[in-house]
Order: sequence, then structure tokens, then C-alpha cells
Amino acid sequence: MTDTPPLPKAAGSLLELDARTRRRNAAETRFRLYGIAAVAFSLSILFVMLFTIFSDGVQSFRQASITFDVTLDPERLDPEGNRNPEEMADVTTIGYGNLLSDQLSAYMVARGISTEGVSARDLNAMISRDGPGSLRAQVLADPTMLGQTIRFTTYASGRIDGYMKGRVTRDTAARDTNISVEQLDLADRMIEAGILTAAFNWEFLTRPDASDQRPEVAGLGVAILGSAYMMGLVLLMVLPLGVAASIYLEEFAPKNRFTDLIEVNISNLAAVPSIVYGILGLAVFINYAQFPRSSALVGALVLTLMTLPTIIIATRASLRAVPPSIREAALGIGASKMQTVFHHVLPLATPGILTGTILGLASALGETAPLLLIGMVAFVGTYPASPLDGGILDPATALPVQVYAWASRSDPAFIERSSGAIIVLLAFLLIMNLVVILLRRRFERRW
Amino acid sequence: MSIAILLSAILTLSALAFVVSRQRAVASAGGNLRALHSRPAMYGWFGALSAGVPALLALAAWLIVQPLLIERDLRGMFPESVQADASALTLAMEDVRRVASGLDQAVAQGMMTAEGAQDLTGQPEAVRQLLAEIGVALAADVSPEVLAAAQDYRQMAHDGALWRTALVLALAVAGLIAAAALTTRDFRARNHVERVILLILMLASSVAVLTTVGIVLSMLTEAGRFFGMYPIQDFLFGLTWNPQFRGNSTFGLLPLLWGTLYISLVALLVAVPLGVFSAIYLSEYASARVRSIIKPLIEVIAGIPTVVFGLFALVTVGPFLRDVIARPLSLGDSGSSVMTAGIVIGILNIPFVASLADDIMNAVPQSLRDASLGLGATRSETIRQVVVPAALPGIVGAILLAGSRAIGETMIVTMGAGAAAAIDVNPFVAMTTITVKIVGALTGDTAFDSPETLVAFALGMTLFVLTLGLNVFALYIVRKYREQYE
Amino acid sequence: MPNTVPPAVSHPKISARDVNVFYGATHAIKNVSMDIPNRSVTAFIGPSGCGKSTFLRCINRMNDTVAIARVTGRIELEGENIYDRRVDPVQLRARVGMVFQKPNPFPKSIYDNVAYGPRIHGLASTRAELDAVVERSLKLAALWNEVKDRLKEPGTGLSGGQQQRLCIARAIATSPDVLLMDEPCSALDPIATAQIDDLIQQLAEDYCVVIVTHSMSQARRVSSRTAYFHLGTMVEYGETEQIFINPTEKLTENYVSGRIG
Repeated sequence: MTDTPPLPKAAGSLLELDARTRRRNAAETRFRLYGIAAVAFSLSILFVMLFTIFSDGVQSFRQASITFDVTLDPERLDPEGNRNPEEMADVTTIGYGNLLSDQLSAYMVARGISTEGVSARDLNAMISRDGPGSLRAQVLADPTMLGQTIRFTTYASGRIDGYMKGRVTRDTAARDTNISVEQLDLADRMIEAGILTAAFNWEFLTRPDASDQRPEVAGLGVAILGSAYMMGLVLLMVLPLGVAASIYLEEFAPKNRFTDLIEVNISNLAAVPSIVYGILGLAVFINYAQFPRSSALVGALVLTLMTLPTIIIATRASLRAVPPSIREAALGIGASKMQTVFHHVLPLATPGILTGTILGLASALGETAPLLLIGMVAFVGTYPASPLDGGILDPATALPVQVYAWASRSDPAFIERSSGAIIVLLAFLLIMNLVVILLRRRFERRW
Repeated sequence: MSIAILLSAILTLSALAFVVSRQRAVASAGGNLRALHSRPAMYGWFGALSAGVPALLALAAWLIVQPLLIERDLRGMFPESVQADASALTLAMEDVRRVASGLDQAVAQGMMTAEGAQDLTGQPEAVRQLLAEIGVALAADVSPEVLAAAQDYRQMAHDGALWRTALVLALAVAGLIAAAALTTRDFRARNHVERVILLILMLASSVAVLTTVGIVLSMLTEAGRFFGMYPIQDFLFGLTWNPQFRGNSTFGLLPLLWGTLYISLVALLVAVPLGVFSAIYLSEYASARVRSIIKPLIEVIAGIPTVVFGLFALVTVGPFLRDVIARPLSLGDSGSSVMTAGIVIGILNIPFVASLADDIMNAVPQSLRDASLGLGATRSETIRQVVVPAALPGIVGAILLAGSRAIGETMIVTMGAGAAAAIDVNPFVAMTTITVKIVGALTGDTAFDSPETLVAFALGMTLFVLTLGLNVFALYIVRKYREQYE
Repeated sequence: MPNTVPPAVSHPKISARDVNVFYGATHAIKNVSMDIPNRSVTAFIGPSGCGKSTFLRCINRMNDTVAIARVTGRIELEGENIYDRRVDPVQLRARVGMVFQKPNPFPKSIYDNVAYGPRIHGLASTRAELDAVVERSLKLAALWNEVKDRLKEPGTGLSGGQQQRLCIARAIATSPDVLLMDEPCSALDPIATAQIDDLIQQLAEDYCVVIVTHSMSQARRVSSRTAYFHLGTMVEYGETEQIFINPTEKLTENYVSGRIG
């Protein structure tokens, strides 16, 4: 059909780029740059976030403490003289606190360190309020210590600790009612003399939470224990439930409306906001079933319900990945459907199921909102008992809840603690994800 | 018998049934295992299930039903006024339970005998004092009817526990005997066991449905109670949110809805471009090596708990936006704002959008890309004019799903957006969302039956409906338009 | 292996010299040289995996889209080496069009499918011009009468044969000098195949058409020249009749008589 007039065509030499092609290539380069910029921006925000949190949080693993000699004066600590702990208990922590500050003052004077400008009360304030309490507990447990001179180490107060970490400066001290510039000067002299030191602080991981006035002794012990209880319980509950449900849905369920309903339900539940599970937990487990508020058991129940849909979806995918030829082979030698599934399919799907479960646990570990609703925002200062003693019913808290609770307090020392808690939380998550990667590499096959 | 001991008893009986049934089956075949229909262990399992399952089911049912029956019986002991008011009744029952458990503790610690506890009468303050000595704190003096009800409660609970133990143990033993009688060599043990297992599997899958039912029911009933105290139109269309500790609060949904939607919009404006362009770059331009490093890094963002992002918003992003943008431009003075929360939620959702966009664009057949490149189009033209339009329904679905996640987000808004309910166009002002108020209402100091607390369930219902609606709509769009080029 | 270049090709449209293609470590095309004349149909035949599609894709540099592919040698289009560093494949592909094995119309309207090429290359400056281009391309592809009333409907709604003709219209809408066709009828039924065969012969009056086909009967029907590929080498190249009736090489003879492939 050469009678139709010729169509407009691209002319010119191939060896020269015409203007339009140059423009199009420029647009191509710009487009590519947008892509790189998007990736770069996302990753840089990630790094900024991790860097700021880490640099602040790492500080909570160092803690300032004061070390000096304390003579346990029997006249002050045991006025009755009977070495009877019950009577000695009448001397409160205030009495011990005064003893400590007097002893510290004497210790420093003996070494030529001037306490000028710092009253006795101010000196007392530089010692953590936890100090008198722990000394008292020691003495009451062992009254024979009275009269001895011991080498006593106590944490420094939150502000002094902040000074050593750079949070508190002379400028901020001028405006702060809780610390004065003279106290900071004294602190400098104490540092020089080696009385005030900062050391690595493992106790951050083991101590329980502390009240607002004592950020220096606040620790993650209860939170870690609570999270551990909950993760253990969730694993015990969600793995059998999830695997059982997945096996039924994937291998046995007939294709009818009821099964459709279940599947639609599962995919919807996977997308429901976590706070709704918290509401469910509050209404059903606490109000109706009367389980104790803020207990690890209720937390675990709520987290199980939350994690179940994702585990079911992952487990079904693992079961589906096992090729039909395996099932056919088993049926061919006369195994029943159930034997086929449990003896042949399930073992092959196990690596995938395990990795899915660990990932589900990892996301449950980081959940906060539903736990807040079942009461875990409250301050928990004592460890829950061992699980065998009903510890799962004791009030507990969890790592992410602790992060939130500390972040809500106004003292920047608690923000530092919060960041430290995040480091611990992320460390656990990292370990779990590494386990998943290892499992995948070792066990997952390509059919 | 305590529940723990009862459970151990059931377990032991089941184990015993296992052994007995297995022995009987093997014996009936004269020791010749081949003559058995099923493997010997199957007969054992049949025995164990027969002893254990009915007993466990009965135990579970009893535990659920007994408190209901007891409460129904005790209701008559209260004055008419208390019986008529549901919330007062609940409070009264709680008092009864507390006193009863206090009396239990008193008996356990040896401060009084069991009969002494049942016969106890006396002045309300005296009883309160007595219980306080044991360590049971009560909010008010113990009124005579509460004390009497508590004593009845103890009696009924005690009797109930006895009957429960008897029934459960009887069922377990009956199961054991029945199994032992049935297990002969021709008995199709495996089939029966498999049927029971199938039932168990089915029950496990209905947990999903039960959860949904639980969510809907619990929220509906409590929200219903709330709307009994506060008109639904005022809730849905109210413009102010002002809960008062002493009552007379206004609960208008609109400021919360505004804050929620505004923050989600900002989040989408951040997540969608960054997510889609990241996905485009990684799937169309990046080399395999680059992709294998960068993709997992972006996934790391998805693995970080939201509370970490919340702290980031509180400590870094909020002050940054306030100092660099809001204050200089006189737009606002607060670190908590819609921008803070919105931007951080957006960042959180970048991996979600990127991974969805990646899947969607990969689903576009390579042949279309080849056709476009063969016609002389550049890669960006191919993406813009062929791939993205073909993937558009999926991308719209991804946007809706990301919006749904942003709406349901709690921790970042709690820590980054503040708690002030307001309707404002300026995004550098603090506004709050539905989720924040749910947390506030349920963790505050107000009594459970007050409207200030129950409003949380109405809010929860709203949130659930909103997110569910978005998810269903997203699925519908994807499904409807996907057929276009399959 | 001697590569016979028939002396009748005086001004070849496409001229290949010592072309080698490597996919990673695999040597896929070994030292192919040939001249392809204008206004004719040249067919590449050979058993599966012999490299005919690979070599075809060298002519419009589609192998560039495969990361591990490496091409050496010269291929000239009207005297200019298309593998010269200064050449942008984007411009090349406006002059060398391609039709693929499985019809792949865009999920756009029929109009937009055909208009895609002219749009991106800026070949039509007004709407009227574009309309004219679309109409002429569809007429040349023998599809106009069937779709002229439904240009706005999606291209994916057509039958298999119609879709392939749409793809041909799309490819010629940019007025390419060369039209490459990679087994264009292997996914079509015999009737549609016959229609496309007729179309090819008509297109040969204006275009240089190179077609890869695994159907020897199609090669005999439509082409004037045929090249036989075997394991990456071009074994023999000459007039179609000669290749099929009186092949020089043993390998060629084995293939065309059906003993291999």
C-alpha cells in the first residue's frame, strides 16, 4: 500500500544526538536522581534517628558514683544499743542520709578538699537518695557492722550524674533549683580527688524502675523480666494455635462460605490497629474474666491475639511452599491425610514456620499501645515473682512501655534512660532477626 | 481443689488412660501388632483424649458459667436502687468480691477460722479495720448487705468448687473406663483420634472469628452504654472535646477526626513519594548488588518499634521543626504538632509503601516494558507512561492501606502530637487524634462506668470502622481494576 | 564456516561484521557477518536456542537491557555503526522497530497504543497530525477498517491476531527504516498467521523487514533471503529458494529436510 503519503519520521544521523533526545535524557537523569534522593533521604533519617538515640542512650550505661569511707557510728544508728534490727529500724533513711553527708564532708576535709559554698543540705543532695536506703538495708541485715569503717560506694544524684555526662552545665545550673554552681565546683574537686567517678553500669539492666527523684537508679530489670515472661507465654500460645489453624485452613478446610469467612477475618484482623486489641483485652480479660491488671498473663493474651493473624498467614505460606509431589507420594503409600500433613508436610515447612514465628514475636516485643490499655503504664517498682509462683499474675511492665513511661517524665535524665532502654530493645530485636537470617540460610530450601 | 491441682489430676488420668488403652489393645491382638487396625500409640491417644477432653471442656465451661450464676443469685441481696442501676451493681459486686477474698486471706493467715468468717457480723468500720490489718484495703466501710453477700459468695464459691472437682474427675474417670472398654484390635482408633484432632484444628481456626466477634461485641456493648449516657449525634457531630473530671463533659468527635485525618494526610505526603520513588529506583535502576544492600536497610525502618519513632519525634523532630520553621515563621510555638507526628509516621511507613509498590510494579509484565523500550522510550518514560499507569489500581490500594495504618497509629501521635483537641489549618499547631484520646480515657483516673472512660469504646468503634472500611475499599479497588490488563 | 554474502546486495540497509555476543561467560553469537538489503524480507531460521533471536535483538540494541550481555563487532544502519559510542539507543529505536513474539499492546486505548511512539519522539506537532499518523499506521497494518470506530477502546480487548497487527501498527507509527519481527506468529492461529504473512509481504515494499521464524514454511512464503543459524553461528545465508532447495552446507540441509531441529 504505497499510495498513502509517507509518515513523519525521525531524520538525521544516528551519531548525533538531536535536541529532543538530549532533553529526554536530561529528564531521565533527573528521574533517576529523584529515586536516589528518595532512598538517600529515607536512610539518612534512619541514621539520624539511630545516632541521636544511641549517643544519648549509651550514657545510661555509665553512672556516676561517690566512694568514701563511712564509719558506722553506733550512737547514731543504734541509740538503744541492743543491736536489735527491729529497734534500729526506728532510725530512718533521713538519719542515714545525714550520717552519710557528715561522713563525706569529714572525708573530704581530711583530704584537703574544700566544701566551701556548699551547705550540709546541698552536700546531702549530691548523693543519690538511694544511697541512705541501701546502707540502711545493709546495716539492718547485719548489725555487727556497727562501729566498723567501711568503704562505701553510692550513686551520685541525678544532677551530678548529668553534670558528668554533659547534660548539666553551669549555664543550666544557674537556672535550676535542684543544683547550684557551687555544687558543680565541688563536684570538680571530687572528680580530681577520685572520689566522684563514672563507671560502667550493668545495674541499668537489672534494677527495677525508680521514682521521679531518682533517675540515677532507674533500671530495666522489671521491664526485661516482664517482656521475657510475655514473650515466653506468647510463644507457648501462638505457636500451637497458629500452626493448628493454618493446617486446618490450608490442608483440610472445604471451600465453603464458612472457610471464606475465616480467611477474610484473618486478613482483616492482620490490618486492625493494635490499640483495638488493647480495648479487646481490657474488656474481655480484665473486666469480664477479672484477670489482674498489668499482669504478664493479660499482656501475653493480648499480644497472642494480635500476632496470631500474621503467624497464620506466614505459616500458610510455608505449608503452601511444600510441593504437592510430597503429599502425593505420602498418600500413594497409604498414609491418611492427617498422617501426610503431620509426618511429611509439617517437618518440611518447619523452618518457614519458625522464622515467621520469630518475626511475629519480634513485632510483639515492640508493641506498646495495647499494653498501655491493660494497665501497664503504672509504675512497677518490684520484680514479678517466678512464673511457678504465679509471677505471671503479678504486676509487670514491658520494655517498650518503659521507654514510653520514662519519656513522659520531664527530667532529661529519664530521656537518657529511655534512649538506653531503646538500645536494649533494639539489641533484642537485632538478635531475633539475626536468628531468622541464620535459620533461613541453613534450612530453607528452594524446591 | 485448686485449678492447678485439678489440671494435674486430669493430666495424670489422661496419661493413665493412654497406658491402659494401649495395653488392652495390644493384649486383645495377642501381642501381634500387625493384627491391630491402627498403630498401638493411636489406641493410647484415644484413651488419653477420651479421658482428658470432656473433662477439660467441662472445667472450662464451669469456670465461665459459675461466676455468672453466683452473681445472678446474689443480685437479690441488694436494695432495689442498686439492682436497677447497672454501674452501681457492678461496683457492689466488686466490693463483694474484694471482701470475700479478704475473708479468704484472713482464714488462710489464721486470723480467723472458716466458721468464724461465715458467722462474722458487726459494725462496718470494725470489719473494715479487721480486713485492713490483714492488708486488704477497702475504699469504704463494709455495709451489712455487702458483708452478707460476701459470705454467701464464699459459700457458693466453695460449694461450686467442690461440685466442679467432682464432675471433672468423674468425667475423666468415665472417659478412661469407656476407652478401655472400647479399645479392641478391630477398633478404628486412628480414625477416631484423627476426627478429634480435626475438630481441634477447626476450633483453632475459629479463634480468628471469635476474636473479631469479641472485638465487635465488647466495643458495641460498652459503646452502647456510653450512648445511653451521651447522645450519639452530639458525639458524631460535636465540635468540641472537653472532658471534665466532675462530669458535664462534651465529647465531640470532629476535632479528633480532623486531627487524625490531617496527620494521616501529612504522613501520606511523606510516605508515598518517598516510598514509590525508592521502589522505582531499587527495582528499575539499581544494580543487584546495590539492591541487596539497600533494600534490607530500608526494611530495618519497618522493624523498629513505633515507640522509638515516638521518642525521636518528641526529642528531635519536634524541637527541630519548632526552632527552624515554626518559631521563625510565627506559625507555632510547640514541639508537638501535626507536622511532627505526620512526618514521623510518614517515615515509619516508607518501607510499607515501597514494598507494596515494588510488588505491584513487578507484577506488570516485562513484555510491556520491552515493547516500550523497543519503541525508543527512555526508562523513565517507560515507567511514567506504561508501568505506573498499568500499576495504578495497586498503587491506589497501597496508598489507602498506608492511610489506614497512619490512622491507627498511637505511640507516635501520643508522643509527638500532643493531647489538645483542636481544629486548625496550621499544621504546626498541636492537635490530637482518636487513638490518643482512647489511651487517655482508659488510663486516666476516672471511674470505669463514667462516660469519661466509656467514650473510649465509642472512639474505638469509630476507629475500627474507619480502618476496616479503608482496608475493604482498598481491596475492592485493587480487585476491580486488576482485570483490566490481566 | 564461510558466510556467503550474495553479490546482489550493493547498498545494504543493514551491514553486520564480526558480531559476537556474550551472556556472561556464554558465547552466544559467534562471528556473524551479513548484509541485509532494503525493501525486502530476510528470514532467520534455525533450531531453538541457535541464537537467531539474540542476533535480531542486536540490530536494535535490545540486548543493552540485559545486564550481563556484551556485544562486539560492527552493525551499520545505512553506513553508521549503531554500536558507536555516540549513538543513543533511544534514537536508534525510532528508526528500527520491533514486533515481539507474544502480542503486547499497552493497557491503553488503541489510539494511544499507536500514538505512543510518535508522541515520545515528538514526531507530530498537532493533534490533527497525530490523528493522521495513527490512521495511516493502522491502515498499513491492515487493521484500520476493523477498529476505526472504536479507537478509544482498550487495545487489550482485541483478538490475538488483531493485537499483533496493532503491535505492528505501533511499531511502524514512527516510520522506522527497519522492522524487526521476532517470531510474530508463534502465538497466533493459522488464519491470523496467514493475515500477518500477507501484511509482511506488503510491508516489504517499503520497509526492510527481518523476521525470525521457527516455521520453515513461513520463511519460504514470505522471505526473499534466508539465513540459517546453528549454535550461535550463521551457517549459511542466501536466496530463500536456494537455501531450501539446494543448500550448500550439510547442517543447513539437515535442518531444512527435517532431520534436526
